[in-house]
Amino acid sequence: MVEFKHKTPLIDQLETGPWTSFVSDIKREHESRMENPKGIDYQFNQECCDDLLGVLELSYDHGRTHWKHGGIVGVFGYGGGVIGRYCDQPEMFPGVAHFHTMRVNQPMGHYYKTDYLEQLMDLWERRGSGLTNMHGATGDIIFLGTSTPQLEEVFYELTHNINQDLGGSGSNLRTPSDCMGQSMCEYACYDTQEFCYNMTMEYQDELHRPAFPYKFKFKFDGCPNCCVAAIARSDLSFIGTWRDDIRIDQKAVKAYVGGELKPNAGAHAGRDWGAFDIQKEVIGLCPTECMSWDGSKLEINTPECTRCMHCINVMPRALRVGLDTGCSVLAGAKAPILDGAQMGTLIVPFIKVEEPYDEIKEKVVEPIWDWWMEEGKNRERLGELIKRQGMQKLLEVTNFKAVPQMIKEPRSNPYVFWKEDEVPGGWKRDINEFRKHHQR
Amino acid sequence: MAFISSGYNPAKPMEDRITDIGPRHYAEFYPPVIKKNKGKWLYHEIIEPGIVVHVAESGDELFAVRVGGCRLMSVSHIREIMEIADKYCDGYVRWTTRNNVEFMTDSKDKCMALKADLLGRKQPGGCYKFPIGGTGASITNIVHTQGWIHCHTPATDASGTVKATMDVMFDQWESMKLPAKLRISMACCLNMCGAVHCSDIAILGYHRKPPLVDHEYLDKMCEIPLAIAACPTAAIKPTKVEFGGKQLKSVSVKEERCMFCGNCYTMCPSMPLADTEGDGIVLMAGGKISNRIDAPKFSKVVVAFIPNEMPRWQTMTATIKRMVDAYSADARKYERLGHWAERIGWERFFEKCELEFTHHLIDDFRDPAYYTWRQTTNFKFSKTG
Amino acid sequence: MDEEATKTLIVETLKKKKGKSKFYLKDFYKMVPDEKPRAVKNLVNQMVQEETLEYWSSGSTTLIGLKGVGKQAAADGED
Ligand code: HEM
Ligand code: HEM
Ligand code: HEM
Ligand code: SF4
Ligand code: SF4
Ligand code: SF4
Ligand code: SF4
Repeated sequence: MVEFKHKTPLIDQLETGPWTSFVSDIKREHESRMENPKGIDYQFNQECCDDLLGVLELSYDHGRTHWKHGGIVGVFGYGGGVIGRYCDQPEMFPGVAHFHTMRVNQPMGHYYKTDYLEQLMDLWERRGSGLTNMHGATGDIIFLGTSTPQLEEVFYELTHNINQDLGGSGSNLRTPSDCMGQSMCEYACYDTQEFCYNMTMEYQDELHRPAFPYKFKFKFDGCPNCCVAAIARSDLSFIGTWRDDIRIDQKAVKAYVGGELKPNAGAHAGRDWGAFDIQKEVIGLCPTECMSWDGSKLEINTPECTRCMHCINVMPRALRVGLDTGCSVLAGAKAPILDGAQMGTLIVPFIKVEEPYDEIKEKVVEPIWDWWMEEGKNRERLGELIKRQGMQKLLEVTNFKAVPQMIKEPRSNPYVFWKEDEVPGGWKRDINEFRKHHQR
Repeated sequence: MAFISSGYNPAKPMEDRITDIGPRHYAEFYPPVIKKNKGKWLYHEIIEPGIVVHVAESGDELFAVRVGGCRLMSVSHIREIMEIADKYCDGYVRWTTRNNVEFMTDSKDKCMALKADLLGRKQPGGCYKFPIGGTGASITNIVHTQGWIHCHTPATDASGTVKATMDVMFDQWESMKLPAKLRISMACCLNMCGAVHCSDIAILGYHRKPPLVDHEYLDKMCEIPLAIAACPTAAIKPTKVEFGGKQLKSVSVKEERCMFCGNCYTMCPSMPLADTEGDGIVLMAGGKISNRIDAPKFSKVVVAFIPNEMPRWQTMTATIKRMVDAYSADARKYERLGHWAERIGWERFFEKCELEFTHHLIDDFRDPAYYTWRQTTNFKFSKTG
Repeated sequence: MDEEATKTLIVETLKKKKGKSKFYLKDFYKMVPDEKPRAVKNLVNQMVQEETLEYWSSGSTTLIGLKGVGKQAAADGED
């Protein structure tokens, strides 16, 4: 029996109930470290898991955190990838007195093979706490808790033995992430994994070294369902879409109507919602009223469709996204701090996503970065800069043509800040010439 | 414990250094059936909660079993996942964007054997190691941040609130009987690292007391200009204080300006924020990310404060359950929680969910506030007033 | 201005600052107004490689200062 130093009655309560228990899991790791059947020469405190449980119990006891921030940023020459952490009760919990995390750049789509996972686990068991986050909210693999001297050692082994780099934090490009896209999802309008990988590699310098006024995020969603939430949390989101017709298999439509196929791929199977009613559930819910069904043929008036995915989600075996695919680019999403949350704003309605993605890099990403690096205030996200200097300014620096797709509605005030060169004759006028026709 | 060098030489950090190599290439980790059929998938179908079959144009099938994971995972647990992946999936496995794990097999038989195996694995206290579900019109895993496990500014715990909520909502995880999918997210302070602001239901940690100022140590531990610059609302000013007969440099906090963000504590360990009574939970509701039917929406604050109740947060989970039950009973098929609230009206939402409306829920933060007030006489009366 | 002179200018400017040892990247742009931000950024990052400067991170923002200078390192108990 492995001993636990700390009594943890409060968090022990979280070892009951059906959902998987992180407390049981941390205990399991403690047992494994103490029993050490493989005879590992641990390079980080062997009792750290027990001490982590102890700190957590203390927090549960009085409702306050026991961590302090540390500015350690990482390994030599990198501006991100490590979050420094110190416990504010180091004598009580020596195993976690220093407990820095490392962000490891995840493989796109979060696909793994066990031989690679094994290398990562062996490394982290030896040189860290044996605890991870799979994955951090940005997408990285998080190695949770090690000491300062181990940071370089972990990095050295990662790069030399596992051919694997860290991810980003701080005022860097944050680790880009993507939905599973074409690898498993038939809705994907472009190869999210390849695009995400390519952008990650292209901008390694920006990812590892501070380049910007604040963080910057790319996220890649294969279709407007937005499974990685690009539209809500990335400074530039690339969301798959298409320009031609939704492909319709009329036989399959009939099969849905006839009840042979389950609507929404079976997503509603747990309740009796009655017989599938195509009129009510598809035609009636189409936000643009661009669909019709005459009892035998489904028609979609393509120019009116806004590609919201509803009909496709309901009848995936009958309807497929078009073939002329690409992505929409939205800019400026961010969490609420400080001026309120922002969704991404549509800045490029459609662009082809084709290797090597030069058009996107040169016409979208880089001009925007140049503008933000020049004009952005300290800790101002791109979305806030767009608000402060205006959408017009964004169009100016990117040379994008203004199109009505960019807005929900036109402005309801006429206070246009005309520029001098937009007005015939400019602003320099001669008062004497004016006075010839108007008395004082 | 003897220090074992990896080969790194601290005296010459640049020697032999490898940098800027990025992640491993994803294609190394694709199962063969994905390599072959990528971009050529025809359709998918949820055959039962947690199990999705993907069918390719070639006729190939891929059965994916979705299991819930704690985001915090030990090496031992991941090794068990590896053992399962080796046994049933030729060593391939993937994680989803919401901290679930997907085991991919190429036949239904294997998939069903895998399912039985997974459900048989329990933790010592009886919790599932690998709960199966989270597909379709269900509540899937809760994305969350660090909380008391690792961060310095949380107002609540992340892993614990998630565990408590998933236990109460377990039935919705395992079934697909909601009107639409329902996404819950959790962030432990207003920085909202996890970007929870577009979820059907968001659990958010919130502080309500400005930072303490440890005058005696502040100037020794912190650079005052950095602490001042960290504050987003310019609430921090430099000042001089009398301490032990000496004049010390320190800061003062204009308390009514403080938005309780903890940035000052990040820069200055002499300005801690955490407080037992001050800290607790905000609940938000009605957001979504997908563009389906209409535009993505932000979540709205529907409960301004619930105290931290360790270890089970029973008031919070009961409130969430009330919202989910009211939604489930009243919403139309395909209607997300936010659609439902907008259709019936937020005044009705508060009534149906039995939530108290207080002045805290009326926006007063900067410009966007005005657009959330009602500028029409069209409203519904509620029974409660 | 040539690279070495710029580096010296940056170091001298930093040494003159009182009460504050860490700066945003933008503050460095101001020290070298004639250069493009991208060029200053590259130079600053190079000076980190050369161990003249070092990074400090809040987790969300990165600050930069002279190596080993400032109170934070002491507060972390890592010096
Ligand atoms: C001033 C504001 C902020 C500060 C000081 C801050 C600080 C931090 C720190 C210290 C961590 C690491 C937590 C840990 O591992 O212990 C973190 C994580 C993170 N932050 Fe922030 N943050 C801020 C704002 C934001 C905002 C506005 C966003 C999103 C738009 C964000 C996104 C993230 C994400 C995604 C993570 C990873 C979280 C996880 O996976 O647990 N942060 N932040
Ligand atoms: C420098 C700025 C402005 C000046 C000098 C100004 C002046 C005037 C004057 C002298 C009148 C009376 C006109 C008349 O009855 O012959 C008037 C009417 C009015 N103004 Fe303004 N105004 C200004 C800005 C605005 C603005 C910004 C708004 C609205 C946003 C506004 C809305 C109105 C309206 C609604 C009327 C009544 C029009 C009517 O019913 O006939 N004014 N203003
Ligand atoms: C072929 C069809 C689809 C596949 C294979 C698919 C797959 C996935 C997967 C694997 C996840 C991560 C889930 C988890 O961690 O539990 C996810 C998340 C998500 N999916 Fe889908 N999905 C599909 C269709 C849809 C549809 C129809 C919608 C919306 C109507 C949608 C919206 C979302 C959203 C909003 C998330 C969560 C994103 C987040 O909050 O991070 N997906 N999807
Ligand atoms: S965003 Fe679209 S393409 Fe990507 S996984 Fe989700 S549904 Fe599929
Ligand atoms: S994708 Fe949306 S807008 Fe287009 S036809 Fe289908 S339901 Fe209508
Ligand atoms: S949300 Fe706040 S408390 Fe939680 S991890 Fe992020 S910065 Fe820390
Ligand atoms: S908690 Fe935030 S708002 Fe309050 S004083 Fe500190 S930095 Fe300013």
